[in-house]
Amino acid sequence: MYKCIFFAGASFFCASALQAGTIEMDVNGLVCAFCAQGIEKTLRGFPATDGVVVSLEKKLVALATKPGQDIDDDALRKALTNAGYTVKAIRREQETLDEVRARVQARP
Amino acid sequence: MEFSLLTRACAGGLLALVLAAGAQAKPIAFANGTTIMAEYGAGTMEEAQAFYAPFYWLSLGGGYLRLDSDAQHRTRDIDYLRANYLVKRWNLDDAQANIFAWGGLGGARGSDFRGNTLDREAGFQADYETRRIYASLMSDLHESRAYSHRIDTLQLGFAPYAHDYADLAAWFVVQGRAYTGALHHGTEWAGLIRLFKGGAWIEAGLTAQGKPQVMAMFNF
Repeated sequence: MYKCIFFAGASFFCASALQAGTIEMDVNGLVCAFCAQGIEKTLRGFPATDGVVVSLEKKLVALATKPGQDIDDDALRKALTNAGYTVKAIRREQETLDEVRARVQARP
Repeated sequence: MEFSLLTRACAGGLLALVLAAGAQAKPIAFANGTTIMAEYGAGTMEEAQAFYAPFYWLSLGGGYLRLDSDAQHRTRDIDYLRANYLVKRWNLDDAQANIFAWGGLGGARGSDFRGNTLDREAGFQADYETRRIYASLMSDLHESRAYSHRIDTLQLGFAPYAHDYADLAAWFVVQGRAYTGALHHGTEWAGLIRLFKGGAWIEAGLTAQGKPQVMAMFNF
């Protein structure tokens, strides 16, 4: 019984930890601040969105979801397509949004 | 002269494409976005607009356009409702290109005709931008029983540095503008400095005749 509770708790903790990362999207057509503004506004429309970072330099859009929540790839791809942009790739990363922000803002 | 501007416009656009292939006011900023804009154009035109975009390919709104002619001091005031449509967009690795078209109806008053007249508007804009280079060609036609005129605007821009979302973006823009319908003679050339950050945009400069041109735009 105690083992079951332990494994259930551990599974929940691990799942939450995995979802605490970010979703990164490579996007074509990102060339101006208005593009970024529109994308940020679109993604913040998801109830599960916790934060958004847009980098024109890296052509990257990163999104963090609230703990225990997720947004599936199809919904993200559809949202960015409906915002007028082309999504090249979507991937899940373990970095926090602050770490992504620091990475994309770092000058070479 | 109109042909001359068109020729220059095409040459300039091609040159920009060849060079690398920014930023100009687009008729549609982004989906679910509202755009308000006001422009004072060297004493020859003043315009204010407000648009809402339910989709990234459509915006609806209206505006006011005043034209002050250097021929016989004619004036023309046009209030209009307009729909802007994104005909085609190319999302490239480091660039974006668009073709917009629009049409609208309005009411016009003028110093060279009596009363109000129905104004019909149609136009297009083709643009290409990277984070360092910008080129656009816009043509806006207004017709009524009393007049027919078109405003053609070419803009070529260069950014001294590639901005990011959080940065202040700065652009140097050369603009050529020509009017048909005997409103003005020749092409009005202007040099502009454009700054924007977030949803705020302002540009200012002088024409070759030393007249000021100012434009402000906000997207939210």
